Formats: sequence, structure tokens, C-alpha cells
Amino acid sequence: MSEEILKALTQLFAIITKQDGGVSENERQFVIDFFQQELEKSAIEGYLQLYDTISGYTEQQTKHVDDRSNKLTSVKDSIKTLAICKKINKTLTQKQKVVVLIKLLELVSSDKHFTPQRMEIVNTVSTVFNIAQEEYKLIEAFVTSDQVGTLNYADILIADEGTQSTTPIQKHIHAHVAGHLIFMRVSSVSMFFAKYIGEDANNLNGFIMKPSRVYLFSHGSTIKTPDGAALYYSDLVADFNNEIHTTKLSFIANVDEYKFGNGVIGIRDVKIAEGPGKLIGIMGASGAGKTTLLNILAGLEKPGKGKIKVNGFDIHKDKKKVEGVIGFVSQDDLLIEELTVYQNLYYNAKLCFAQLKEEEIHKLVMKVLEDLGLEQRKDLKVGGVLDKQISGGQRKRLNIALELIREPAILFLDEPTSGLSSRDSENVIDLLKELSLKGKLIFVVIHQPSSDIYKMFDKMVIMDTGGYPTFYGNPVEAVTYFKKATHQVDSNRGQCEVCGNVNPEQIFNIIEAKVVDEYGQPSNKRKVTPMQWHEMFKSNFKASRVEDIHEQPPRSLHIPSRIKQTIIFTTRDFLAKLSNKQYLLINLLEAPLLATLLAFVIKYKSAPGGKEYIFRYNENIPAFMLMAIIVALFMGLTVSAEEIIRDRKILKRESFLNLSWNSYLQSKLIILFLLSAIQTFTFVLIGNLILEIHGMTWAFWLVLFTTSCFANVIGLNVSSAFNSAVTVYVMIPLLLIPQMILSGLLFDFDKLNELLSTKGKVPVVADLMTSRWAYEAMAVHQFKNNEFQKHYYDYERDESIADFKSAYLADELKRKNQLLLDFLEAKSDSIQKRISVNKNILYTELRNERFREGIENLNLTEVFIKNGYTKEIGLLLDSYFENYKKYYQKQYNKSAALIEKKMAFYESQGFNIQQEKNHYYNESLADLVKNTTTKDRILEYNGALIQIINPVFQSPKPGHRADYRTAFFLPEKNLMGILVDTYIFNLLVIWGMTLFFYLTLYFELLKKGVSILSKFNISLKK
Amino acid sequence: MHPLTIPSAELTPAIHLNKEKETFLIEGKSLIDDPTPFFKPVIQWLHEYSTDPNPSTVLTIKFEYYNTATSRELLDLFKILETIPGSKIVWQFLEDDEDMEESGQELAELVSVPFEFQPY
Repeated sequence: MSEEILKALTQLFAIITKQDGGVSENERQFVIDFFQQELEKSAIEGYLQLYDTISGYTEQQTKHVDDRSNKLTSVKDSIKTLAICKKINKTLTQKQKVVVLIKLLELVSSDKHFTPQRMEIVNTVSTVFNIAQEEYKLIEAFVTSDQVGTLNYADILIADEGTQSTTPIQKHIHAHVAGHLIFMRVSSVSMFFAKYIGEDANNLNGFIMKPSRVYLFSHGSTIKTPDGAALYYSDLVADFNNEIHTTKLSFIANVDEYKFGNGVIGIRDVKIAEGPGKLIGIMGASGAGKTTLLNILAGLEKPGKGKIKVNGFDIHKDKKKVEGVIGFVSQDDLLIEELTVYQNLYYNAKLCFAQLKEEEIHKLVMKVLEDLGLEQRKDLKVGGVLDKQISGGQRKRLNIALELIREPAILFLDEPTSGLSSRDSENVIDLLKELSLKGKLIFVVIHQPSSDIYKMFDKMVIMDTGGYPTFYGNPVEAVTYFKKATHQVDSNRGQCEVCGNVNPEQIFNIIEAKVVDEYGQPSNKRKVTPMQWHEMFKSNFKASRVEDIHEQPPRSLHIPSRIKQTIIFTTRDFLAKLSNKQYLLINLLEAPLLATLLAFVIKYKSAPGGKEYIFRYNENIPAFMLMAIIVALFMGLTVSAEEIIRDRKILKRESFLNLSWNSYLQSKLIILFLLSAIQTFTFVLIGNLILEIHGMTWAFWLVLFTTSCFANVIGLNVSSAFNSAVTVYVMIPLLLIPQMILSGLLFDFDKLNELLSTKGKVPVVADLMTSRWAYEAMAVHQFKNNEFQKHYYDYERDESIADFKSAYLADELKRKNQLLLDFLEAKSDSIQKRISVNKNILYTELRNERFREGIENLNLTEVFIKNGYTKEIGLLLDSYFENYKKYYQKQYNKSAALIEKKMAFYESQGFNIQQEKNHYYNESLADLVKNTTTKDRILEYNGALIQIINPVFQSPKPGHRADYRTAFFLPEKNLMGILVDTYIFNLLVIWGMTLFFYLTLYFELLKKGVSILSKFNISLKK
Repeated sequence: MHPLTIPSAELTPAIHLNKEKETFLIEGKSLIDDPTPFFKPVIQWLHEYSTDPNPSTVLTIKFEYYNTATSRELLDLFKILETIPGSKIVWQFLEDDEDMEESGQELAELVSVPFEFQPY
């Protein structure tokens, strides 16, 4: 209390008592008592003098006027009273004002001199203090009346030996009290006051209660009668509170044993039974298992032996029944840092209350924000550890708000005050206390609470090292219990006699007291082991009984449909990303920057004379395409790799809501795919622009976008499986390097380790790489469908087939046939083997051959499979191959002529063929897909001839319907018997892979695999 | 705007509030226990007046006596005057009534409206 206020109060006292006949000795004594409470001895004199002067006491003494006639209050005093009250209004809280008002009433009633003038002044004071008239009447009656029967108010509770209340609406409890204990609730400020009428020496928090005096009955207070009966604050509050009685809730936990993953016992023999409207603290030395116990009670961990039941429903078995009943606020921040305070709460509410309209949700959110004193901060971004925008206390309150908004009946909080100032801590616990008064059951792990906070708890569970419970009951009694147990002096005093403080530290000092050695040094041995404390606990405490309720626990949860969830998740995430400027900037600028860098570096004067840049002669185009794919993979991975890890905390909280994992993942995909689409588009746009790649923007984009989406899903898989961002980023090279090795450009597929490669076909390991599919799609599409080539592709294809057959295949087959002729009679094994191989080759080649002039009547099966090969047939074939060669030479010339004709036609139409080619056609890429650099144009491998040259003009030769495998750069692929364009086929393959990895993500296969592996490691250590 | 006129009674003062005639006067004594209902129409009238006031408003207070509860109402009245530009309070008191003079001075400190003290 400040000097100014005390002065004001002294004046008020004086003005009131001077009315109607002046100060009586009793009244003056009351004022002196008051000063003694508030001031140190030396200061009392000054204030008493002030009081005496204003009240006219000095004059009274000297003049001996004893004029007790009723005089009107002087107008000057009236205005003075008014001025004082206005001053008090500016400094004191409403709670303090209530206390002041009660003091004034007590002053008047100290001599029972209730005159109209005096009461009028007190009444005016109460009006200026903005205390409602009804409440004033209640307070006046409570302070001034000594007759229990006159106190007919719902906010009055009488505790006495009687069996029922004396008036209709007043509350009553039975207690062993000589006389009456009267309690009053001032509901506007949630304060309780107590008063005793009778002869006994009752004890309030260790002080004797003077009869007829009003005492503040604060949090954690206890009144004890000489008989030993005790009235606890929490019980009393419950008696006043109707809501608690209407809430149907029972929480019964029997945890016999809980083991950690490594087999160590974490919790043993904890039995907790509670009803609604309780605030329960869990305390213990560090490592005693407080958080573990909280997690078990909340159902996050399953006890090895034991059950947790809410209203009779096992929380592990009847999950559906208790859905939304439990709320959990962990020690970590569970906020979305990029969103504002309001948005955090708003989207959370949207996920909880599908049935509410937009407006109602807004109202609800605003109400919760107001309740928690956050409405001023509602538009501030929550911010991360480094750019804090709201204070620690506000963060904590917001965390609690996220759970409060859906009003779970049981709330668990893990150290909600850690890291907060004592002021903020008190605010948080105040808030929890208020909630408990509304009927919620709240469990709080608390560390080093202040005295005020400690006393606010209704019950305290104290744990000792090794998970042994050592106390479960009234917090203040915990101190006396442990003091008594160790036979300390003064053991029945829980709190400080002068200040009412409780020192919870004392408890731990006693529990953990160490044996002292002969040199006076504390040793490592404890005086009382946790087991001994536990034994003592078992013999001293019987588990209290709670009414076991068997109806559905109260809840207010309405989870939206999956699609709506997806929409909510997506908008929430989208807003969060939008507000993170750095993230947005980096992700949107990354692609254009890389494209510019890459394209700039590889653009050179490529024309044959070295004078200018011509796309056709740029030898870097194949490499550019590979880089584009790597960039797409890289961007896709990095953008997604942290997504789930970052959300993991939020997911933990939302796990109590049973939201759809699928919806969550879909929302992630929507946003990531959108980002990928933008990134790859800007990349292609700028890359193609600089390198003058014409007409390929959309085709390239689609490939890169598909690749990036695939990478997104892979990134999410990794993100869901590992628990740190660092691990995930270390994983990225592991995922990317194989993609580069097996892309098909850096290393020729035909020149890989024999274990992997199949000649003439892309190795199966490479088929697992997206890069290979993407690269093939891009290269083949660019070559085949560019504006120049597309007019001639079909002719060139015919030309190429004819060329191959006439120039290479005809000779090769002829040679094979010659060998058969030469060794017709030979019997040696090695020759026989050669012969059968050659027969096989001739059989396959001829079977699929359209040109059959001269061999129309030959039964190929008869000749090559069933040993029907004779000299005549051999000679016939020899001449056939001559014709074959000539035929295909003619075919080749025809195609070449056709191409020339077509070119001439286009030239006549005004096209500049050379310019077109420079524009759209790239020589290096053409060389690549035509494989012109290869030494062997044709290869014999595994008893078959394989065409190595010109893959891009070949057709697939599937061995069976599902055989999709071909050489690299073939223009078509076999899809279950249908020939599909490579571009489309490859895109389908990548999307198929994306879908596959979405499923592994959905079922969290990678995560499960990783956790199995990590368990394996632990068992190895043992 | 209708003028408000309340004649004085045993426990309540007389009220004369007239916008057109520019008369604003409270006079007599106020001893009533609960003055709120009595002053309610006065406060209402002033509120309405404050939406469209005269260029200058001189409220004359001429009390013989008022009790504590009434002092609260007076303060509320003066608070409304604070919102009216060009308003002034003329505080009239019997020449030898020091109490009344001093209470006027204390009130003047609680509000920002200028006071003029006139003994009679």
C-alpha cells in the first residue's frame, strides 16, 4: 500500500468516524490496529495524528464535548470523501477496493454506531468504487450482522453444528464448530471472506481468529477448530460452486508400474482418484518422473500394468468415448510461429468446432483471447525464438488457450510456469484456478512454485526419485507431514506465522536430506530412501474415494469432415508460409537465380565460326537438361524435408483431436505441389529464354514439375521418419547422388558393372531413378517433337531402319548363315553351340521381317528349331540376304528422297530450313539420342543381335505383355500391349512412383522402419 | 428542446434548465438518501443538451446544503459539462458559509470546468 493511499484511507476513516458525535475509543482502537498491521511502529504516530486532527479527536479530548446529537455531514466532508474515492479508484484494483470497503464497514461496526450519516458515506464510497448495489448490501450485511438468520444471501455459507441452513437461500455445511463460521463470496472479484461468531479459538492459517472480525479467506487457506476439524479453501469453493456439482466427471488412475523403453521402472504404484473442479499439482525432484506421470495420466504413454479410467472408460481401450475430453499442454511451444496470435487460435477452433458458423468461431476466439488478456496482442505474429514478438508469458497463455478453447474436461499441463516471471506464473496459475472452479479437473507439473502459487493447488502429488509417490493431499499439510515424519520441532505449522508463506522447498530439503559424515560433510547417502518414504506413504494415506460415474464424459468437440480439414490445414499452412517473408523469398527466387546462373554459364558463341550463339550447336544442352532435373529434385526435397518435423509438436497436440492424417498430408501436398509448380515454371521459363530453347516450355515444365512433386513426397517421407532437420538434410545427398549416377547421361547404361547392366536395356536399378525417366522424357520429346524435326521424324525413322538393315544387319545375318553353311557337318561341341546360337538369331530376325521375297515358303520353325536346315536352304538364304540388302538400300533411298522433297516443299512455302534447324534442332542432343558416337553399331549379346545405334528411331520389342524395358531413348514404350509415347509413359511412371511413396508416407512405413532399426541398436549395446 | 423545471421539495432542490432562455440553475437543499432517481432526468437532459449546446452555458449552483450521496451526483453533472465547450459553473454561497465555499473549491479541483465563486 502506498503512502498516498494510506493517507487517503486515514482521511476516509476520520471523516466517517467524526460524523454523528465523533470518535469512540473502540473506533480509534480499530484504526490503531489497522495501522499496526500496515505500518512499522515508528510510522504509526504520524498517521494517528493525521487521523486525530481530521476526525476532531484532539478537540474532543480538550474541550470534553460529548455531543452525540445527530448533525448533518458537512458539505466539505462530502466532497472530500468524493475526492479521496476518486483518487483510490485510480490506483487500487477492484479486489483491493473491496477490502477497503470491508475495512470501512468494520470500522463503523466496531462500536455498532450505525447512523444514517455514516452509512450514507460508506454507501457513497461503494458506489464510487463501482461496486454493485446488491453486492454492497451483501457485504454490509456480512460485516455488520452477528445474526446468522439475517444473512439470507446465496453467497453466504454457514458452517456450524446445525443440520440445515437457517434461511432459504443461504448455503450450509455441517462442521464441528462451536458457534458459527460465516463465509462470504464476492463473486464479481472471486474473493472469499470468513468471519467467526463464537467463543472458540479457531485457527486460520495458523493464526487465532478473533470473533466477529472479517478475514480474507485466500487461496490455500485452512481453518482449524480446536477439535481438529479442518475446512479447506478448495472444499469450500466447491461448496459455493454449482457448476462443479453439475459436472459429471471421475478420473481414476491406477498405475501399478511403468517401464521405460530400456526396462528401467519409471513410475510405481500411483493411485489417483479425482472428481471435477480440482487443481492438482505434481511435484518432485528432477528425474522423479513428474512428466512421465503426467504423460501416463494423459494417455500419451501406456502404463505397463494399470489402468486410467475417465468416467469408467479406459482411455486406451475406449478411445472413441473419451475423444476430446483430455487436453494437454506440453512444456514446448506448440504454436505456429508464422501466424498471428489470433490465427493460431482461429484455425485451432476451426478444427475443433465444425458445427459453428464463422461468426461464432470469431466470437469464441475473441472471448478466449479476452479471458487470457491477449486481445491487445491478437494481431501480433507469434514469432520464433530469435524474433520474439510476444512475451514468454503471453506465449504460454496462448499455448494454454489453444487447449482451453475446446474446453476439455480434464487438462494436463507440463510446467506451464517454467521460464516465466513470478508475475506471469501467478497469472497462469490464477487462470487455471479459475478454470478448475468452473468444474474442470486440472493436473499441473510444477517446479519450485512460489508460496502463493503453491497454496492455490487443491491437492499435491509429491514424487520421489525412482517414481515413488510419497505424498498425495492438501499442499500445506505436505509441509507438516514431512516435518512430523522427521520429528522436527514446530511440525504442526505449515506456513509462516507472520506472513502466511509456505516454503515448498522445505519439503524437498526433508525428502532428500543427506546423512552427514563424521566431518560434518553431507554424504551421498540419503537419510530416508525413496522406498522408505513410499512405505510411510502407504501406511499413512488411504486412497480417497471418488464417486465413480458411468456416463459419457462432457465434451464439446465436433471435428470437421476430411475435406474440410484439408481446406483448413491448407489455408493455415498457406498463411503461415505467406507471412514468412524469408522462406517465401528464398523459395521463389531460388529457381530463377539458378536458371540464370546455369544458362548464363553454358551459353557461348557456339556457331561453327564462333561468331554468335546458335542453339543448334550448343553442346551443353544435354547437360543443361540433366541439371534442370537435378535442380527440380533438389528444390523439391529441400522445400519438403522439414515440413513434418516442424509440425511435429503441433501434431502431438492435435493428436488429442483425432484429426485425419490423410487430410494433413494432402494439405502439405497441395501447398508443396503449388510451390513446385511455380519454382519449376520460373526455372524453365528463364532457362529456356536464355538458351533460346523454343517451343519446349510447357513440355519441359511438366517433366520438371512431376519430378519436383516426386521429390516433395520423398522429402515428406524422410521428414516424417527422422526427428531432426539436420538428419534430414544429411539424407539429401544420399537421395540425390544415385539420381545423378543413374540418370543415363553421366554414365552410359551399357558400360556399367555387369551385375547391374543388361546390354541394350536400361538397368533395373536405373529404372528406380526418377532422373532417368525424366531425362529420357525430356530428351526424346525435344528431339522428336521440336518444330523442325517433327516434320521429318517419321521419314527419318524409316530411313534409319532401312539404313541399319542394309548397312549392318544384312551383312551380319549373312555372316551367320555362312557359318551355318560352313560347319554344316561339324560335330564338335563348341561349334554346335555357335550353330545353335546363330540359328536362334536368324530365327528371331527373320520371324519379324516383313521383306520375305524368295523365302515365302520357308517354314522358319522347321528350319531353325527342328533341325531342318540343309545346304539348299542355306544357299537360298544367302541369296535372300543379297536381295534383302538391296531392298533396304532402295527403301533408304526412297526415304531420303522423300525427306528432300518435303524440305523442298517447305522451302517453296517460304520456310528457311537452315534457320528452322538452327532454331529448334540441337546437334548434341541428336547425337545423344541417336547414339552416333558408339563404336559398335550392332552387338551380339545373350544370343541376340542388339541395335546400338539410333535408339530414338527404334521400336520396343517386348518379350511379354508387361515387359516395359527397352534401351535408353526409345520413342515408345510397351504398356501392357499398347505402345505409348515415351514422354507420356515416363511421366506416368514418375507419378506412379509418387503415389507409391505417398502410400508409404500415409502408413509411415519409413518411420516404422527407422524406429525398428533404432531399437535394434539399443539391444546391441546391452 | 423542452425546458426542465422541477420545483423544490422538502428533501430535494429546485431545477431550472432552459436552453432558449439560457437559464441553468440548481437551487435549494438536497438531503435525499438515494438521490440517483431524482437526478436521473437532469442528467438525461444535460446529455441531450450536450449534443447541441448553446455557445456558452453558465450553470448556477446555489445550495444551502447537500448530503454525501448528492455530492456524487453533482460530480456526475459536472463531468457532462466538461464535454460542453464554453461551459462555466457559478458557485453561489452564503457569505459566512465557509464550508460551502470550501466544498465548491474542492469540487473545482475534481473537474476541468471553470468555477466562479459568488457570495450572496
